Amino acid sequence: MSIWLLILSVAAVTFLLRASFIVFANPQRFPHAFRQALTFVPPAVLAAIVVPGLVMPEGVLDVSLANPRWIAGLVAIAAATRLRHPLAPIAVGLPLLWCLQWAMR
Amino acid sequence: MTQSSPRQEFIAGCRDISPVLLGSIPFGFVAGIAAVSAGMSALEGIALSVLAFSGIAQLVVSQLVAANSPFLVTVAAAFVVSLRLMMYSAALSPHLAHLDRRWRILLSFLMTDQSFAMTVKRFNEATDRAYVHWHFLGSATTLYLSWQAAVAFGVLAGASVPATWSLDFAVVLTFLALLVPAVRTRADLAAACVAGLVVLIAAGLPYRLALVVASIAGIAAGMAIELTRRR
Repeated sequence: MSIWLLILSVAAVTFLLRASFIVFANPQRFPHAFRQALTFVPPAVLAAIVVPGLVMPEGVLDVSLANPRWIAGLVAIAAATRLRHPLAPIAVGLPLLWCLQWAMR
Repeated sequence: MTQSSPRQEFIAGCRDISPVLLGSIPFGFVAGIAAVSAGMSALEGIALSVLAFSGIAQLVVSQLVAANSPFLVTVAAAFVVSLRLMMYSAALSPHLAHLDRRWRILLSFLMTDQSFAMTVKRFNEATDRAYVHWHFLGSATTLYLSWQAAVAFGVLAGASVPATWSLDFAVVLTFLALLVPAVRTRADLAAACVAGLVVLIAAGLPYRLALVVASIAGIAAGMAIELTRRR
């Protein structure tokens, strides 16, 4: 039963955050510092999600050559910066990871 | 561009979002696998996806359910990883303010990182903006339906995918594709670097609190750079 309560709560949280300004509030009424802080949410949260996925695949820091993910990730970042296409990181990064994994076997 | 119709805008939205599906479909598949691996039933995994429609929130909830985390910790983690949706909401609201409430509720419910990025681009590029909300609806609906299909497939067939496919890396790459264009100024770069560093230092904290701590540290770093720059 509690899993359903959890599912509904998470659904409510995600909806309310999405609807916060579109449905309920005018962002112009909020202090400048608050709006400024909001602009740093995407780079901060996304980096906090991406970085461990590249250098901590097993939960411990691993930037050795035995971990191909940070290498594929760096190349994917370069591809994203250069090509400026939403597909570039995945089209470059995933096949590269497969190649590196294959080469290491 | 000449005068466009709602129908043309809707179809353009469906078409423009389609390259993104190459990333979001494996991601949805991974999210479906994560839900059942965490011990949720197929119905619960699909319900979470249909109602919350947020890949990273679904993944975080699955990880915390698997770790038997307390209810409030799990909801708080979902809140923090979804804070960026609030930022998107603030950015889009001036463009959508003229729509009636039902439209705004519908578009809010369907908004994701990808459809947000696509819609902002459309608002900036279109000369005729009367029907851009139809473009938003087209891209968001396409993403919603394909996402739910991918999650359902992951929930039902997921256990048989070999780990060597490294599909979880598709998730990281999907977020990397959003991170890179989100870093435009030096303050953004500071926010990303500090968050990336702190998440590694704080990795030992329980319940994925590292993500929360690192996000706050990154936001603070961005604000600090912004303040010193203005003096």
